[in-house]
Amino acid sequence: MSNQQEQPNISHQVVHLPAPTAWPVVLAFGLMLVFASLVTNPGIAILGGVLVLFGCIGWFREVLPHEHHEQIAVEVETIPIITARPRIARIQVDETHRARLPLETYSVMSGVKGGIAGGIAMIFPAIIYGLISHHSIWYPINLLGGAGIPNWHYASAADLTAFNWTALLVATAIHGVTSILVGLLYGALLPMLPRHPIVLGGVIAPLLWTGLLHSILGIINPFFAQRINWAWFLASQFAFGIVAGLVVARQGRVRTAQYLSFAERIGLETPGLMHERPQDEER
Amino acid sequence: MSDRAIPIGESIDLTPPQGMAAGWLELLHDWVITVDHKKLGIMYIGYALIFLLVGGLEAMLIRVQLAVSNNHFLSPETYNRMFTMHGTTMVFLMGMPIIIGIANYLVPLMIGARDMAFPRLNAFSFWMTAFGGLLLYYSFIGGVGLYGAGSAPDVGWFAYAPLTEKAFSPGHTTDYWALALIVSGFGTIGAAVNIIATVISMRCKGMTLFRMPLLVWLNLVVASLILVTISPLTAAQIMLEIDRYLGGHFFDTQAGGSAIVWIHFFWIFGHPEVYVLVLPAFAIANEIIPVFSRKAIFGYPAMVAASVGIAFISLGVWAHHMFTVGMTSASNTFFVLSTEIVAIPTGIKIFNWLATIWGGKVRFTTAMLFCIGFLFQFLIAGLTGIMLSVAPWDWQLHNSFFVIAHFHYVLVGAITFCLFAAFYYWYPKVTGRMLDEKLGKWHFWLFVIGFHVTFDFMHIPGLLGMPRQIYTYEPGRGWDSWNMIVSLGGAVQAIAVLVFVFNLVWSYSKGTVAGADPWDAWTLEWATTSPPPVYNFAVEPVVSSRRPLWDLKHPEDPDSRYE
Amino acid sequence: MSTIPITGAVDRPWILPSRGRVGMSALIVAESAIFTIFVIAYIYNIGRSISGPTPQQVLEVPIFATICLLSSSLTIWIAERALHRSNMKMFGLWWLVTWVLGVIFLGGTAVEWRKLIYQDGLTIHTNLFGTTYYSLVGLHASHVTVGLIGILTVLILTLSGKVAVRHAERIGVFALYWHFVDAVWVVVFTVVYIVGRS
Repeated sequence: MSNQQEQPNISHQVVHLPAPTAWPVVLAFGLMLVFASLVTNPGIAILGGVLVLFGCIGWFREVLPHEHHEQIAVEVETIPIITARPRIARIQVDETHRARLPLETYSVMSGVKGGIAGGIAMIFPAIIYGLISHHSIWYPINLLGGAGIPNWHYASAADLTAFNWTALLVATAIHGVTSILVGLLYGALLPMLPRHPIVLGGVIAPLLWTGLLHSILGIINPFFAQRINWAWFLASQFAFGIVAGLVVARQGRVRTAQYLSFAERIGLETPGLMHERPQDEER
Repeated sequence: MSDRAIPIGESIDLTPPQGMAAGWLELLHDWVITVDHKKLGIMYIGYALIFLLVGGLEAMLIRVQLAVSNNHFLSPETYNRMFTMHGTTMVFLMGMPIIIGIANYLVPLMIGARDMAFPRLNAFSFWMTAFGGLLLYYSFIGGVGLYGAGSAPDVGWFAYAPLTEKAFSPGHTTDYWALALIVSGFGTIGAAVNIIATVISMRCKGMTLFRMPLLVWLNLVVASLILVTISPLTAAQIMLEIDRYLGGHFFDTQAGGSAIVWIHFFWIFGHPEVYVLVLPAFAIANEIIPVFSRKAIFGYPAMVAASVGIAFISLGVWAHHMFTVGMTSASNTFFVLSTEIVAIPTGIKIFNWLATIWGGKVRFTTAMLFCIGFLFQFLIAGLTGIMLSVAPWDWQLHNSFFVIAHFHYVLVGAITFCLFAAFYYWYPKVTGRMLDEKLGKWHFWLFVIGFHVTFDFMHIPGLLGMPRQIYTYEPGRGWDSWNMIVSLGGAVQAIAVLVFVFNLVWSYSKGTVAGADPWDAWTLEWATTSPPPVYNFAVEPVVSSRRPLWDLKHPEDPDSRYE
Repeated sequence: MSTIPITGAVDRPWILPSRGRVGMSALIVAESAIFTIFVIAYIYNIGRSISGPTPQQVLEVPIFATICLLSSSLTIWIAERALHRSNMKMFGLWWLVTWVLGVIFLGGTAVEWRKLIYQDGLTIHTNLFGTTYYSLVGLHASHVTVGLIGILTVLILTLSGKVAVRHAERIGVFALYWHFVDAVWVVVFTVVYIVGRS
């Protein structure tokens, strides 16, 4: 650390600073006049043009061949850099000050895998529901895919039990994307309940999700809302959640960054939270 | 580098040192031809303060006109000029010069340099800005105009086409607006180029990019943002003048041109401009809050990243000013989302400021009080901003007084509060004397009360449907009492500003002598005398951490150990 | 704890980028933003003119002028290299070539405009195409003009023997501007003569 007070006392030093010059203000005034001439009198432009020309030439000669400098004698004055507050306190952070985050959890990708597996598993209760209630495996598919088909607001029961290409495609797309996204969300939420993935995925999440949908489905998909059977819907949600949870539970756990100190985790300079670097590591 | 080297041997051009200034003419001459960044910074700030008073006076006239229904205090023509000139003045003649002035004064001091990278360009930039402002105000006396009342611009500060076309805006009112802003825009771009070159090429030894004070970092970001925001405005104004003088058709809807394109071009400038103004306010808070909390800023890298992030995001949000123009729903969705994303980096900043204060030994000086006011008000301003970013909400409230209240919450509640904090914090450095704290407390409390009375209640007539820029209104719409309250709050703010101006003048000769380092601060500008000598530092400093003065003050526990 | 740690950075030589190059790069960014707005205005307004003449009818591709302008980027680079080697004759020669190429380009634009105005009757207020064409190409031509004035100044100074190797840095900064002007022409050329005519 170099320190101003430690420098040799050089009281006769001079500093070269750029010399004051009027050319910039002349050039600026000339340019302004050129613009002002448009709203006032064209004659002003001539005056402005002359000033611009002189300003440019003057400025050019100011910096070429050599920049003009002026010498300023330096008065070296020792400015004491001291503080009236020499004591340093460290903020003490108790171990129990904040909720501990888990040291181990599942990776986010395991949630996506769980989502895919759960999405496949969910098909079976849905189809069983279709077979039992309407004797058609296409019924639940049409119900889901109907969201994407115009003019199906008044579809008959026959329409819904028959095979429909568009409905199948739309339903597959909705189901696939939703399964992956829900799986991703599940993976991201896992650190909140890392010890019991099956409870989180198989019980808590389906209940929350179904409750949420129950209250808002009428707004987002009224067609679906009219015909949905909530018991079966909940059952297929449980199927999704339990299978997803099982898949996740089979994945290996990963360590979280909670192993590191807080300051290390976010790379911040935080007095009190940061541990000093050991002496022997210093360069 | 060869650039920075002092010329060697015979090649030195020795202009004789200036003699002591005798008399005010010599003094004036010294200031006019100066290339010193400190003098230019002071001139920028003084110029901006004058226009703060002028723009404030215009605001007061607007508020008197709107205080009661069916009022004819101003003529409709004058009223149009007042709101146009109030907006234009406050953004271009007050906001931009003051932030550039503060950067001009502080950036070289904070990075341990003796001047800006291009001192002559610096002088040129200031004079362009200054003459641009003079040209704009010359419009009041410069022409007969349409109604014999001078020809000050009257098309709103955003000057929407086709109102600005020759057919609808005869005379030179719009030309004054465009030409004056082109002139001052050149100055602004020059200043931005200079700040960038200074920050990159003039840092003292050891001042790596990640040891720069956050104020320097944010001004680097702002200068970069100016390059890509002011230039589009200049380009659009050149197009407007081509339309008006050469008969072009850029914004001439009769000939196939598009008025919507002007709106796009204007807001491509106009929205990032908000961040050009608010980031320097953040920069000020970044310096003041740690010093008065007696702690290092929390999350320095996160603050830098958030600032750069805000600058990038701000380039992609302009059309949230245009939800009512009638864009496709895809565009609406994009601009809703991009606008809402701004909340993430700004949220990071607010949490970092709170974490800086947390656990600190807070000293409630006037500067710190203004910063705390800023934190609360900026939060509210951000929240109404998120409300307005939602397209359906905006359809309901676009161009209402709710919008006016929202952006004044940003411009006054956040930016002006930080600027006042900066005055209380750096005035001792600039003049060598402290601003009076007692008057400062009066200033703060009057201003904070006036601010809230004005702008909290201004939201309500907006929600009740009162549009902006209307001359007057019928009684019985439920707007009357709210407008009266708002106008009274404005008067309280005006009194507070007068207290502040009095404080500036009074403390210049009567304030207590400050000394080099009155606040026990940590950045390099406090390592030299107050006011600093013309060469800033007798010996060029060398730093080895973000808080060089902390290292000197606490040699047993320097910051450099943690880097 | 008793010793103050020495950080490595202090002892290393402290080299920062040249302020001239940084400043010119910043200016180029600002200029690019201005050009971007004019280019967007041009592209947006392609085919929106409600009366003729249209670009398909009147525009001819200025191949020769374009080749001249683009090759001037090469010659200015050769001149710079000669300056670094202190070969003043070669520097002057290539610098002169650069200037001549620039003048040919500007002359080409003048001839083209003369034809458009007097032969095809296209002016800036004829239609939207005229407005956008003259402002975009004119904006570029004004930048070429500024560059040519700069090149001419250096040329005169070279002929009077005042330019030396120590000016290489400043001339290098100026050359950056000239490269920028050339690069912008690539964009303007593509937009005006290729996209705009198709």
